[in-house]
Amino acid sequence: MATVALSEPGKVKGGRWSPWLFALPAVVVYVGFLVYPAISSLFFSLTNWDGLSATYDFVGLDNYAKLPSDPVVVTAVRNNLIWTVVTIAVPTVVGLVLAIALNGKVHGKPVLRLIFYTPAVLPLVSIASIWGWLYNPQYGAINSFLELIGLGGLAQPWLGQDSTALWAVMVPAIWLRTGFPMLLYLAALQGIPNELYEAATVDGASRWQQFWHVTMPSLRPAHYIVLALSLIDSFKVFDMIYAMTYGGPGTSTQVMGTWMYFNVFQYYEAGYGTAIAVVITLVAVAVGIPYVRSQTKEAS
Amino acid sequence: MTSIAPVRVEAPVLTEETTPPNQQSRGRRGLVITLVLAVAAIFWISPLALLVITAVRPLADFVGNGPLSWPDEFTWSNFGDAWGIGNFATTYKNSALLALIKVPLGVLISAMLGFALAKLRMKFRRTVMFTVFLGLTIPIYIAIVPVFIMLRSAGATDSLFGLIGPYLAFGIPFEVLVLQSFFRQIPDEIIEAAKVDGAGDWRVFFTMILPLSLPALVTVAILDAVATWNEFLFALILLNSDANKTIPVGLLNFQGQFANNNTGLAAGILIAVVPILIAYTLLQRWIVGGLTAGSLKG
Repeated sequence: MATVALSEPGKVKGGRWSPWLFALPAVVVYVGFLVYPAISSLFFSLTNWDGLSATYDFVGLDNYAKLPSDPVVVTAVRNNLIWTVVTIAVPTVVGLVLAIALNGKVHGKPVLRLIFYTPAVLPLVSIASIWGWLYNPQYGAINSFLELIGLGGLAQPWLGQDSTALWAVMVPAIWLRTGFPMLLYLAALQGIPNELYEAATVDGASRWQQFWHVTMPSLRPAHYIVLALSLIDSFKVFDMIYAMTYGGPGTSTQVMGTWMYFNVFQYYEAGYGTAIAVVITLVAVAVGIPYVRSQTKEAS
Repeated sequence: MTSIAPVRVEAPVLTEETTPPNQQSRGRRGLVITLVLAVAAIFWISPLALLVITAVRPLADFVGNGPLSWPDEFTWSNFGDAWGIGNFATTYKNSALLALIKVPLGVLISAMLGFALAKLRMKFRRTVMFTVFLGLTIPIYIAIVPVFIMLRSAGATDSLFGLIGPYLAFGIPFEVLVLQSFFRQIPDEIIEAAKVDGAGDWRVFFTMILPLSLPALVTVAILDAVATWNEFLFALILLNSDANKTIPVGLLNFQGQFANNNTGLAAGILIAVVPILIAYTLLQRWIVGGLTAGSLKG
């Protein structure tokens, strides 16, 4: 212990065990309630456990083999993909446009920023309630609005039919998720040195060229963070679907998360449900690893 | 713990006024953009505005005149009805209690780990760091079945306290990520000076690191409180009785009961979100600053 030199940059002299005493509470909780459960899920996914009884059999990879032939899984994967693409693309683009607009000479900037970011802090369940209420076929504001502007023919039970339900659930998700990219891009835009634009202007670049050759490259770190976090977030979709459509009508809005929930807690197929959870997690982790690595590397 | 973004807190809140690119006189252009943004903002906020308007009108007025009409009369009675039937006295108390226990505890243990990672000589530091940050990508689903079993065998299902463990665990990655990066910026020299004066690691942590990191601690605490207040899946699975439900789970039940009472439903939703809206409006600068400042070096 005495060999710990003061000259070691960035490190504090202290006992060998001292760091671990600091780390202990968080590590214990993290391992106990996240790492250990995650690993035991791997085990449960190899059994035919129903979630209730004391006994179960080890069935190997049967649960995984069953996945591709489960029509709901096929629907859920498709829905997850649509969900991921749309709820990343739309909020990112809209957030960027809003940020660029708000970065100009605009009046009432703080109020506008507040308004566009507000949905991002609301509980998902309340957002689901608000939009379920707006979509109400009888007294919903959305159908009323369509009638008001003369498009009453388009009024329909948005959440109640296969053809529109998934899209209708994505609208509040977009509403919720636009605020964060907007804030991040806004901060990034303010960090771009004005000289870059001045130089571009001198070189005769049009506004559009400036956008592509100055703004977009300068925003690369922001793009990276927005995309990485959106991707991680999109795989976790559950609350909105559960609270708005309960996976229905039929199974038209099921995603992997809700289908896992229904298998475990409604159909008493805990083994199979856990296999679904394992698959989602593996995909989410695989996608997230580059981001996690970048964060770890930078901190070292 | 969804919808929270891991970021680094470094600089003070972003500056309000900056010079726009190409500052030729563009007053007119600015005005047009302002108008377009204002219209967009009105649309953006209209769901909440409608909610407020509906919540303060009698049901008969709403049904008679339609959802988009201006009310003929106003009333507060929807709130009273919703408060009672929605069991909000209980769910409020539960959510507040949970946040009051979970948030300080989570911030403290995360700060301790963050300190060890940022400023102490720790073996396997990168491994610990990688494992903890990996938690950012791990969905709650993977833990649900085992956590449910663990808590059931401990007799801690249907108990608010049963939620604390999983809530802490899923909050740690984000909190540690933010805090350790903040601690990292504290100069080693001042810590070494304190060490020379005989201060131990704990003393350094409590009397130097924590006070110096107040902005980061507050930001993390606010974001964590919002996440805790909003958490749904664990609460849905682990809490059964009405006496133990949190706001999101209570709201979902309430929604079912009030399906045909549009004004009462609006009042109930509003009751559930008002604390978050007030907190957010008051603490905006912290939240915005925390979400954006310094997160862009990536």
